[in-house]
Parts: sequence; C-alpha cells; structure tokens
Amino acid sequence: MERAYSPVRILVMLGIILVLIMADHLSSPTFAFNSGQGNVQTALSQRDETACAPCGAPCPSTRD
Amino acid sequence: MTDSAVLQTGLQQPGWQVDRFIVATALAGLALLGGLIWLETAPFMVALFVIGSVLGMALYHGAFGFTAGWRNLVVKKRGAGMRAQLMLFGLSSLIMVPMLYSGQAGLVGAVAPVGTSLVVGSFIFGLGMQLGGGCGSGTLFTVGAGNIRMVVTLVFFIAGTVLGSIHLPWWLDQPGFDPVPLVNTFGVSGAIIVQLLGLGLIARWVNRVERKAHGNLERGELLWKGQEHGVFRTLISGRWPFTWAILILAAGNALTLALSGAPWSITFAFNVWGAKAMEVMGVNMSQFEFWTWEYPAMALKDSMLTNAPSVMNFGLLLGAMLAAGLANRFNEASRSRPEGRQFLASVVGGLLLGYGARLGFGCNIGALFSGIASASLHAWIWFVCAFSGSLLGIRLRPWFRLPN
Repeated sequence: MERAYSPVRILVMLGIILVLIMADHLSSPTFAFNSGQGNVQTALSQRDETACAPCGAPCPSTRD
Repeated sequence: MTDSAVLQTGLQQPGWQVDRFIVATALAGLALLGGLIWLETAPFMVALFVIGSVLGMALYHGAFGFTAGWRNLVVKKRGAGMRAQLMLFGLSSLIMVPMLYSGQAGLVGAVAPVGTSLVVGSFIFGLGMQLGGGCGSGTLFTVGAGNIRMVVTLVFFIAGTVLGSIHLPWWLDQPGFDPVPLVNTFGVSGAIIVQLLGLGLIARWVNRVERKAHGNLERGELLWKGQEHGVFRTLISGRWPFTWAILILAAGNALTLALSGAPWSITFAFNVWGAKAMEVMGVNMSQFEFWTWEYPAMALKDSMLTNAPSVMNFGLLLGAMLAAGLANRFNEASRSRPEGRQFLASVVGGLLLGYGARLGFGCNIGALFSGIASASLHAWIWFVCAFSGSLLGIRLRPWFRLPN
C-alpha cells in the first residue's frame, strides 16, 4: 500500500509547532518565574470565578 | 513499500498492521511535550495532557463525531450516533452535577449567559459544523489523524474565534440575561432528573425518526464488543464500540473538572493561539475589550503550557495521531486533496465554527457536553440552535460538492 503522506513533511510540521510552543514559553511570565525572577504573576491558577462564562466573559447584568 | 509493521507472532494477530513511523512520532511528541510541561508547569498539567491524549484516542477509535451523528439522523435517518451522544450527556450529568454542587471550593461549571449571543453563535456554529466537516473535538482529532481538509478548517476556525472575540462584547450588549443553572430551580437531584427526562425525550424522537424510515432501530450504541476483532486488538487499533468511547469521554471530563477546576473545553485555546499569532504580527490585542477581561488577558500573556485547554488540545492531537498510527490509517482521508468548492467549504465552515464558538460560549464540548454536565440552561439552547444551523448546513453541503 502506498503511503498517504510524506514523513519529512510530518516531522517539519511538528517541529514548527514545537518551536512555536517553545518561543511562546520562553517569553512568558511562567518561564521568568521558573528562572528565578520573583514578583511575576503566572497564569497556572487562572480561573476567574467571578466570570459568567468559561471564556471569562462578564455577566450581562454587570454591563452598562 | 511502507514502514508499516506486520505484527504476527507477538500479538498472535496475523495481518495486524501499525504505522510504525506515525506511532513512534506520536509517542516521541507525547514524551517531549509531556516532559516540557512537567519541567515547566505543574504535575496536574501533565495529568491534563495525558487525559487529553486519551480523549483523542477515544474520539478517533470510537469515531465519535458529533457532526456525522447529527447528519446521519437527518440524511440517513439512523440514530445510533445521536443516541450515543445522549447517553454520554446523561452519564456525565449523573457524575458531574453532584461533583460541581458538592460544596467543594474551586470547582466552576460550564455555565454561560443566555441571550442573543448564544442563539446566534450556536446557530452559526451548527452551520459551520456541516460545512467545515467537524465540530470542535471533531476538527482536532481529524487534524491529529492527518486530514488535510480539516487542517484548513482548523486554521480558519482559529481565525474565526479571534474575530468572534473582538465582536463578543457587542453581542453581549444585545438582549440577554445571566446564566441559569438548573440546580438553582430544581436542586441537584431535580436538575439531574429534568435533564435525563429531556435527553429521554430527544432519544424517543430520534427512535421515532429511525423507525419511521427503516421500521427498526440499529442499536450500535449499545454494543460492548468490537465487531471485527478481539478485545485487545480492538482496544489498540479500533474501532471501539460507542460504549467504550462514552465511558472514556465521561470519565475524562469528570477528571478534567477534578484536576483543573473546570470541565473540558476546546475552543478557548483556539482563541489564545489566534490572538498570540496576531500579536506576533504586530496587532495589540489588548486594545479589544475581550482581551482585557481577566482570564483571557492572563492566558494571552502567559505560556500556552499553563493554559489547560491548550495543553489538553495538544494531548488530543497527539493522542489522535497515535490512534491513527495504530489503526494504520493516518492521513487516509487526505488521498484526494480539497479543491474548489470543497476548499471553500473548509474556509467558510472554519470561520463560522470559530465565530459561532466564541459567541455561543464554546463548541459541542465546552458548551454542549460540559454545559449539560454542569446543568446549565444555556447548553440546551445551544443544542437546539446548533442543530437548527446544522440542518441548514446539510442542505448547503451539495453546493460545496460535499457528500451527504
């Protein structure tokens, strides 16, 4: 059976995604915190319990 | 020649082939990303990553597609897929509603406002499901399995969520009211009973549609054993009976709630990925109200590895890839590339999915599955409106050269 994909293309795609994730992480407050910088707010405990929806939207009743 | 291995003596299953390259790549990806999450975040994030990968395998091996289930009912008048979804919602409701309202601090349900935004968003999402070829979970697991058309859908899905996030504050200012948890009206037991009755009524309607068209019911959703192979081979390479997928998906959502404090969601991560991409391109997303709200602002600023939906989505993609490799079917749906109107359907469908998901407070997972598991009224309205949008989408599919 002929292969339906190019292995090189798969590896390149996954590599690009990994690089993007790493680039995002290396510039983040969490990485700064892990590197010893204090006074940085990270998002690990990020639930906003006052929000009205999972995306963080406020309640309609609180809007002008 | 392929790299597929013929596993014979060890597993005593002649002719059982796996795609060694895809399996090895998926396992390497899981180990690499899992290790990074372990080193840089917290153990519960690794657990969520693992849960995401198991959910990806369950969705792929169980062929648990919400979109196809709805279309099969409308077009072929077969209701097994739809009944499987209803069973999933009922089981999750039984497990998660008591968890959420047990008084334990730190657990937040998938509840959302009810109003114009929800109605319009969920209708648009349902339309997008049929044109884009998948819902939130369906798009992700098929991308993980190497489907090129769904990659196009995902890219425009992400673009749609970003546009939706910019417009959401305006939509929230249209008529609507605050979330309505059914528990406030009926109590915990009452809310579960009301929801089970609602699901039962829908199941009855589905049965009536199928019986009227065929004179009988195909009870595929009740099977416990694979039809083609033994238990072990079915577990590893699929296809799973619906019951297995239902149990795994229900347990996965409950574990997600217990570990992260909120039920399973998918599309908020797309929002974050899209907004981060826009910022890389020089757009200051903080100028838009949505990205000034506390949770989105923090998610945008910090690493994707600290965002639970993102981490679970990464796991889901790799889990589906692993499952497709084990089934030796990776990229099988992409032998003919989408062109012309089919490509256009992916673009339009993706945009509608993304925009609708943001306005509708999530997709079939975050709004529908997790919403019903949280006994929120908005999930039921989402269900009705998305199904209505899906009916329109099914009528439009032939124009886009998409088979019904």
